[in-house]
Amino acid sequence: MQQGTGASETEVTWEDQQNINKFGRLNNRLHELEDEIKVAKEAIDNLEDASNELILTDEEVVRFQIGEVFAHVPKEDVETRIEEMKEVSSKNLEKLEEEKESVVAQMAELKKVLYGKFKDSINLEED
Amino acid sequence: MAAAASSSSTESPETTTERRGIPGAQFVEDVETYLSQIGLDVNSALAFLQERLQQYKLVEMKLLAQQRDLQAKIPDIEKCLDVVATLQAKKGTGEALIADFEVSEGIYSRARIEDKDSVCLWLGANVMLEYSCEEATSLLNKNLENAKASLEVLIADLQFLRDQVTITQVTIARVYNWDVHQRRIRQTATSSTAKVS
Repeated sequence: MQQGTGASETEVTWEDQQNINKFGRLNNRLHELEDEIKVAKEAIDNLEDASNELILTDEEVVRFQIGEVFAHVPKEDVETRIEEMKEVSSKNLEKLEEEKESVVAQMAELKKVLYGKFKDSINLEED
Repeated sequence: MAAAASSSSTESPETTTERRGIPGAQFVEDVETYLSQIGLDVNSALAFLQERLQQYKLVEMKLLAQQRDLQAKIPDIEKCLDVVATLQAKKGTGEALIADFEVSEGIYSRARIEDKDSVCLWLGANVMLEYSCEEATSLLNKNLENAKASLEVLIADLQFLRDQVTITQVTIARVYNWDVHQRRIRQTATSSTAKVS
């Protein structure tokens, strides 16, 4: 995202500068959120696959990874654990999506304000 | 550790704050006043601002590396807490915990962990200490909190730094445009005097 000002006479006030700074921060946060959402979605997919595998297996004891080791855990305990982990992951994903929506909305607002004042002199699009 | 940072919404535009060794970028109200204030001509001012930008970029890379380290450390500590919690849960039952662990890449071995009250924690620098499960949990929690707090401070530093970079970039653009504008005025002035005479 470039923030150039063109060859016009529009003065840049402190408030404008703060808006530009805020837009920059929000843009960074948006990229971070998109990465985090991708990771969270992958985690949920993995947990889904794991619980599907569990249903198919007929072994009584499952090797469940805790830290760096695989502990022998009875199947029901593993099922419960995976359900809990899925809950936590989907709540986390929801929170991230909500934050992303709010960031996108704030950025749209700021774009309106900044384009309103600077028109062509400023570029707020992704390169 | 007091950080000399102030929130940008209440700060007066003329003051240059600095935060933990990062110099603040001075906001420019008017380009002409700024140039006379620093006593440099346009090209030197642009060079100075470009150099500042490079310095900011260097600091940003350093902070990003630190952030990556911390972000890797935190899941590590959480994994350790998980293991200690599992051991503690097993304590009451009297049965041993059987676990497969990695001996080398692709080779795993089975371990039988009996009911024990203590765990050993790797503290770094070739030092490993034995702790009771409760002490281990509280130590790991303390480390986790410290890591999270450091990460927050680091993220705030990065935000401050990025703001200074933005301010400097905008200032560079404005100084350059002002210079272009001045040249145009001078050009039209000389061409109109030429026409008159």
